[in-house]
Amino acid sequence: MLERIKKALSSCGCDAWEITESAERGWEFYFIRRKLDQHRAVDVKTYAVKIYKYIEDNKFLGSASGEISPTATDEEIAKTLSSLVYQASLVKNPAYTINDKKIDIPDVTSPVDVESLSRDFIEAMLSVPETETEYLNSFEIFASGITRRQINSNGVEFTCTYPSSTVEVVVNAKKADHEIEVYRFFTSGECDKEKLVSDVVSAMRYGSDRLIAQPTPKVRGIDVLLSTDDAADIYRYFISRTNAAMKVRRISDYEIGKPVCEKFEGDRVTVEALSRLKNSSRDIPVDDEGAVIRDRFLIRDGVTENFWGSRQFSSYLGLEDSSDVPNFFVHGGNDPESVIRTGDYLEVVEFSDFSVDTMGGDVAGEIRLGYLHRGGKVTVVTGGSISGSLAESAPTIRFSSETVQYDRIVIPKVTRLGKLRITGVVDEN
Amino acid sequence: MTTERGNVVRVCRDGLYAEYAFNEFDPNDIGSVAEKLKSTLDAQLKTIAACGVQSYKTGILPDEKCELFVEKEAGILPENVDAKELVDKFTGLSDKGMASVEGALDFMLNGTSTHISKMFISPNRFLRQSYVYTEGSFATYAPDKNGELKMVYDGVSGCGGAEILNGLEAAIANAPTVMADMVNSEKIVPGEYDVISSPEVSGLIAHEAFGHGVEMDMFVKGRALGSEYIGKRVGSDLVTMHEGALCDESVTAYAFDDEGNLAGDVIEIDRGILKTGICDALSALRLGVAPTGNGKREKYSHKVYTRMTNTVFDSGDSTLDEMISSIDYGYLLSGMESGMEDPKHWGIQCIIARGYEIKQGKLTGKVVAPIVMTGYVPDLLGSISMASTDRGVYGTGACGKGHKEWVKVADGGPYLKMKARLG
Repeated sequence: MLERIKKALSSCGCDAWEITESAERGWEFYFIRRKLDQHRAVDVKTYAVKIYKYIEDNKFLGSASGEISPTATDEEIAKTLSSLVYQASLVKNPAYTINDKKIDIPDVTSPVDVESLSRDFIEAMLSVPETETEYLNSFEIFASGITRRQINSNGVEFTCTYPSSTVEVVVNAKKADHEIEVYRFFTSGECDKEKLVSDVVSAMRYGSDRLIAQPTPKVRGIDVLLSTDDAADIYRYFISRTNAAMKVRRISDYEIGKPVCEKFEGDRVTVEALSRLKNSSRDIPVDDEGAVIRDRFLIRDGVTENFWGSRQFSSYLGLEDSSDVPNFFVHGGNDPESVIRTGDYLEVVEFSDFSVDTMGGDVAGEIRLGYLHRGGKVTVVTGGSISGSLAESAPTIRFSSETVQYDRIVIPKVTRLGKLRITGVVDEN
Repeated sequence: MTTERGNVVRVCRDGLYAEYAFNEFDPNDIGSVAEKLKSTLDAQLKTIAACGVQSYKTGILPDEKCELFVEKEAGILPENVDAKELVDKFTGLSDKGMASVEGALDFMLNGTSTHISKMFISPNRFLRQSYVYTEGSFATYAPDKNGELKMVYDGVSGCGGAEILNGLEAAIANAPTVMADMVNSEKIVPGEYDVISSPEVSGLIAHEAFGHGVEMDMFVKGRALGSEYIGKRVGSDLVTMHEGALCDESVTAYAFDDEGNLAGDVIEIDRGILKTGICDALSALRLGVAPTGNGKREKYSHKVYTRMTNTVFDSGDSTLDEMISSIDYGYLLSGMESGMEDPKHWGIQCIIARGYEIKQGKLTGKVVAPIVMTGYVPDLLGSISMASTDRGVYGTGACGKGHKEWVKVADGGPYLKMKARLG
């Protein structure tokens, strides 16, 4: 099929092209409690094609993307490509350079044993300890191996095989007739059994704590502490502002060599872009457009050092060696978790949905479970919400020296923010 | 332009259901596909057995004889769109938007038209359908006085061809006023208020409150409080809510679902009383009820779950002016951003773009943004005291099951007056 598409591309009238062939072999298992409800297998192949066309004496470079079915006939392929060439000729983007550097790293060809990967996840989940009051409600396992082959008209060629897995878990905690549910969604490359079981057990503990939670009081002027993957959204706000498209579109006001906040009252954020990250669901060294991903600092000690992103937007910023980035490492701070946790604060471990608007920096989330640490006493709370703007609270950020990985991002284990509003549901005594 | 083709086969052996999804095969050698399906599913069973896993036994799905061919009308099919005309039109609208919205840094438009052709075959059923849905949206952003970016977003959608995108021009006409409201907005003082939800916010409440809450695959897992409230009051007398692909000619107005069950129109809540939920075929078999035509897949390679289609509150008999006049102090809530449900405990979270202050029965012109609305679903629906005569249905968004399985849905309703906690 690849050769048929390449042959059709040679006569379709485009100026350049990229093809990405992806083959996914996935196994899926759906459990209710500990019994299997359904199982599925996925065996699919896709061909993504991107067409480039120069317009008005190379002043503009248009592009159009599409997907070609592996069962398409030669006539269908030709028709799709012809349509893409026409569409690309209408897209007047200022001209930019397409990747043409030979890939200087070897293909990643270690096969993924989907059967073994599935077994690891099933065994891990079945080893989760349950009690009369804390137990699994249901879980779904998705284990897959993906082989991606990329080629472009400039001679770039690369093949990578990698595992990509997801486990969705719902756990319950019960007290008399009152049952609490906690939802977790884990993505990774392979199965880290110990971490998976530990995270599920933590979710059960949160469920039990919610059974005894009090309504969140209307507290004012205390910090919010995040100790779960919700904190990653705070760091993604910083990361998104080092994205080339965000800069070109004037959403980001970051500038190389300038601090990301006007003044820092707490820790200074350091973010590194990584090509490879063990157990990431995107542990791949080449981006979707055939650029080799280089490890580099995006923000160091609170100062913007590099932008990253697609070929088009990187080119507009004059970045010749840039790429999209699959993995990020947010460095830990100066103080350990125990120091970050001193004084009064509200630790929120469960939101209905924690939302950070990467454009305006607005933060919002309904509190499902929190721990109010005040005067040396800890009260388990639920209800109400937190809200605010990272534009105001980012300068107050403090984070632990210890770090933790959530799939494609490593972040400090705990993150503390000031200047967020806590909307409680009951008046203080 | 993307052409996606694929197949999924569902089989049942010894009461255990399994599926095999594939998209590469030789139609002249179906035997090879069957062999691969069998060997793959057998290998899975071997893994399951090696882990000592037991499985649920489910009966055989009903398979009454049915033949159907539905081809819905569409003005301009995606494959016939004049791309140049569309690009020129969007470029003109973007230029007009940039010129009219003060301080705008960009004005982006998006249009998607999707032609779906599906076939369902079982021993006794042969169903075919072809329909087109189209959605278009614009987004613009501008800095407020503190330099913080504020965004305005709106869109159009429906079951039909690219002609639906013509509606974008009217939607864009409101952008300058709405942006002025957003950049001049203030932070809300948290508290409980009398509020009026605009139709898109009413839709968000419908979706989060008793959309997810009555997906009956959640009943099978014991994950929804709704199962204990069938026949009981969950809202005021003004609350009647429909769910089904037949409820509106929207982005999800199919003729049959992904399990070969015909589309429906279910009254979930009738004048405040919870009547029933929605159900996929396998969950229906487990629960001993009839499927409602709500078995949907994200795509052919994904599993079927019970999913929403159109989730819509019925209209009432008040006018918006009457509703505003009835409020001493509160807000008219407009523009939906996102929501999250909690079917086990009926908590609800809606993030709303802005609120227009109402004082002594009149809009004051003061705007607050953004707003987090939280509460307990029966309290929220129980507080609904007025509903307007008109209503709107919106389908530019998508809905996930948990954090995955994104499908097209639509929701809506009239203006609704209620009490809500805002932060």
